[in-house]
Amino acid sequence: MSGSDNTPDSGVQRDDPMIAAEWALGLLEGEELLAARGKYATDPDFAWRKEWWDNWFAPLTDAIPGAEPGAHVWDGIAARMAALSSQQAPAQGNVIALEARVRRWQWVAGLTSAAAAIALTLLVFAPGNAPVQAPGDTPAQIAAAAPMVATVPIGDTGLRLDVTYIPESERMLVAAIGLTADGVHDHELWLVPAGGGELKSLGVVAPGQVRSMTLPDDIASGLNDGARLLLTQEPLGGKPAGVDAGPVVAEGDFTRV
Amino acid sequence: MAAHPRPASAEARQALRDAMARLANGDQAALEEIYRATRVKLFGITLRILGDQKEAEDALQDVYINLWQRADRYDPERASPIAWLAAFARNRAIDRLRTGKVRGGAVPVEEAAPLPDEAPLADMLMVDAEQAAQIHKCLGALDDRTQGHIRAAFFDGHTYAQLAEGADVPLGTMKSWIRRGLQRLRACLEASDAA
Repeated sequence: MSGSDNTPDSGVQRDDPMIAAEWALGLLEGEELLAARGKYATDPDFAWRKEWWDNWFAPLTDAIPGAEPGAHVWDGIAARMAALSSQQAPAQGNVIALEARVRRWQWVAGLTSAAAAIALTLLVFAPGNAPVQAPGDTPAQIAAAAPMVATVPIGDTGLRLDVTYIPESERMLVAAIGLTADGVHDHELWLVPAGGGELKSLGVVAPGQVRSMTLPDDIASGLNDGARLLLTQEPLGGKPAGVDAGPVVAEGDFTRV
Repeated sequence: MAAHPRPASAEARQALRDAMARLANGDQAALEEIYRATRVKLFGITLRILGDQKEAEDALQDVYINLWQRADRYDPERASPIAWLAAFARNRAIDRLRTGKVRGGAVPVEEAAPLPDEAPLADMLMVDAEQAAQIHKCLGALDDRTQGHIRAAFFDGHTYAQLAEGADVPLGTMKSWIRRGLQRLRACLEASDAA
């Protein structure tokens, strides 16, 4: 990823350790920042060097005066921890509210994918859950009630997009918490219908936010077990009409909770 | 590295190390201990970078929730807890700054909220003394101009473009100044690594 920079000065080689230093200082933005994050996730040498710089720069923070945050900050942390933890408790009773199941999935999705797979398996076989049907022969009534979820991990960055579709209300929630805008690109979400067919745009993702949207019928009808989501990098505002979509940066499949 | 903090501070450091280890092993209660010990330093950092009380508090919440969820990412062999937490908090604040929603660096340091008298042991919140001396020595060896720009990037979260605009020089000039500085900084720090 070096050498892409058109500075008039060629006296300094912009190798990976240099890029790691620039990132550690916080100088990178836009596409360079995305590239550095991607490299961090896949290149141990680069990751090591980034942390090397972080650690060396850390003492500089001693010059920053401390400040007391509001008391509500800890309350907020404790509440979020409690909410997240309570969903770890085993399912009790015969009925699990739809909302609780959605929240539980969101917690599950926060684990590593392997752990998430195990946890999901446990949920599926836990007594009291709605019967789970094999994909393809799901009765329409169940399909209409069970929420669909998809987790779209962004490389190995730990960042991800959580997408939840609640058929009862025909609403879809797109949570892009932790994602940040680079000011140069937007990311657009696409549905690849389970049975194949044309990609359908679900719109541009709002970084750092949870967005709720109502899905038109033609899109909702393509939303079944195995339907796939793609995230592409586009110019600001999303894919312009008449041009191909940008590169796919992440993908994930829908599963019924 | 052999710093010589006061005994009380050494104890507090050890307590923080223990709490980090317990958190990594799934002990949720450890997070509150870590929060009580480090919130003042970490909030100082997010406030400095973001320059907005609300944004800085939101960033601080994210820092601790993230810490709780991924405490295993901390490697005690590589960094002291406070150094790692400080870098973590600053990185999160910079990430937030790059969303473009906040202006950053808008609040001068002296306007930051004053500390309560019962502030945690200040020494404990200082990153290892030897390490601090080394980075200051290596930064100090750079020319004043370069040093100033590197510091502005670190403390104000400025990008190359902002630094170039502030200094009224072309972007490429700013990049090469800073890169030359970083190259020398790296050589100086690596020499001390090897020592």
